[in-house]
Amino acid sequence: MSCRIPLFFVGLLLFLGSCYRMRNSSGGGEGTIRTATRPVNPADVALPEGYTIEPVATGLTFPTSVALNEQGQVFVLEAGYAYGEVWEAPRLLRINPSGDYTTVATGSRNGPWTGVTYHNGSFYVAEGGQMEGGKILRISPDGTITPLIENLPSRGDHHTNTPVIGPDGYLYFGQGTATNSAVVGPDNFEFGWLKRYPDFHDIPCQDITLSGTNFESDNPLTDDKKDKATTGAYAPFGTATTAGQVIKGQLPCSGAVMRIPVAGGPVELVAWGLRNPYGLAFSPDGQLYVSDNGFDDRGSRPVWGNGDYLWAIEQGSWYGWPDYVGGLAFNGDRFHPPGGTAPKPLLAQQPGQPPKPAASLGVHSSSDGFDFSRSSTFGYEGQAFVAQFGDMASGVGKVLAPVGYKVVRVDVNTGVVTDFAANKGKETGPASKLKSGGLERPVAAKFSPDGNTLYIVDFGIMKTTEKGPEPQLKTGVIWKVTRKGSQ
Amino acid sequence: MKKTMKKTLLLPCLLLFLLACGTARRGEPLYAPVPVSEPAVAKGEVVFNRFCQKCHPGGEAGLGPAINNKPVPGFIIRLQVRKGLGVMPAFKEKVISEEDLDNLMAYLKTLRKAKKQTAT
Repeated sequence: MSCRIPLFFVGLLLFLGSCYRMRNSSGGGEGTIRTATRPVNPADVALPEGYTIEPVATGLTFPTSVALNEQGQVFVLEAGYAYGEVWEAPRLLRINPSGDYTTVATGSRNGPWTGVTYHNGSFYVAEGGQMEGGKILRISPDGTITPLIENLPSRGDHHTNTPVIGPDGYLYFGQGTATNSAVVGPDNFEFGWLKRYPDFHDIPCQDITLSGTNFESDNPLTDDKKDKATTGAYAPFGTATTAGQVIKGQLPCSGAVMRIPVAGGPVELVAWGLRNPYGLAFSPDGQLYVSDNGFDDRGSRPVWGNGDYLWAIEQGSWYGWPDYVGGLAFNGDRFHPPGGTAPKPLLAQQPGQPPKPAASLGVHSSSDGFDFSRSSTFGYEGQAFVAQFGDMASGVGKVLAPVGYKVVRVDVNTGVVTDFAANKGKETGPASKLKSGGLERPVAAKFSPDGNTLYIVDFGIMKTTEKGPEPQLKTGVIWKVTRKGSQ
Repeated sequence: MKKTMKKTLLLPCLLLFLLACGTARRGEPLYAPVPVSEPAVAKGEVVFNRFCQKCHPGGEAGLGPAINNKPVPGFIIRLQVRKGLGVMPAFKEKVISEEDLDNLMAYLKTLRKAKKQTAT
């Protein structure tokens, strides 16, 4: 009898283990999602004891970032573009104390505007560049827009992200890759851009030598449903590569952190081998950290089971994309989708050994904008507060339960991740799925200049269906979190 | 024979029922912080965050299933970590040492219990 119990548990676990492939995806945007209304109720958001949350502005369309000027006035970016090919005008808004807003500047059809920072009387904005390529814009308080750099490689899956001013006076920004894993495929057609720009592809920052691996896929650019295309890495769709082929490095490039002088000037490489370096922030001791969205289980070269990562950025380092995950090499065995084949290296020679990440974050959590606490009044000094947009399953891959939809705090010295602001209830998920008035899709977190208030930018409702993402207009919210007794 | 079969079917059903009910959420901000004053638990928390967090965020379900609300004995969890199960990869001694695995087990035990309600 005594040996039956362990055998029973082993049998049960084997049974449960085999269940994974049979279970349907259950992401936060899937299933019955409330889209008709966006009620806002701070009581539905859980925080550590002693903290309170309240809405600052509601009814925004795709807000992505917040900045404060010397007077403590709050300014918000509306992206002007969202996955699902929804186009609106990108805007910089000043939020008035009453919660309504005044438009400071309006951009062109080249969103998404992904990040804003305020520095010495001007706003610096990352223009995602889905149509014309990415830009860094300087916007004066009267709304005058001046591009500081243009033609960044942003017409693909990922964009130009999050400008921050470093202690050295340079403007640092992230540049995402064109693709999931360096191979253009039908998934990029579904995003919408492959039809617009069939020659667009990833650009390495330094010379690379390819292994010559090619991928056959359906060809969505022709009407013949049986038509196939063969595509290699760092090449246009339908272009094969050869073993030993050298792809010349360029600047600007894909999947990198770059910098320019604040007044504008030549672009310099800071780090590369990232996938979608969305959030950038300097720690109180001046170290640059980046949040990087990990691979998806999609496209011609799907990668399964890798998280998002927080990296401490070392000047000139390569962080592993497209052949490493979180510092671990693709060895032809790991990271294969269930029932699929493991991704093999695309590079014949790796540019280096990537560092270890500062923290690992949930697979498909879309860990995005973040900031460091600098205030003993607010607490958790030195920790990074990371906004998690939440999964976009099943388009990015399957999840068994919603991932993200909250703000976590990260001890960058230990890599320990702890929830900070999350919706109440038995399960994690966006308010639209939980039918509550809490958080939907936090996309950025930023502290006020005095460090005593944490602003959370909540993008709003994004339903995900077999047809793709369905972002909902006028559902974005700006929240602020304070510690009781600190105001 | 019939009785044995019934018992065999009943137990998995009961366990599956248990898995499907209780919440897997633990610690802050819904409950009291996970106590990590014990050195083994604190070290185990670091191991958890390095190797487990991404698929089981906070011990909840995500890419993988929840692990906080499973009535599974420790030796089975150790076996699963070492050998893998289904789509979960194996973590050999050179990746997670025996000492780290001991610490991880101490943390998981503490995490499972961290469900004390606080006034938020």
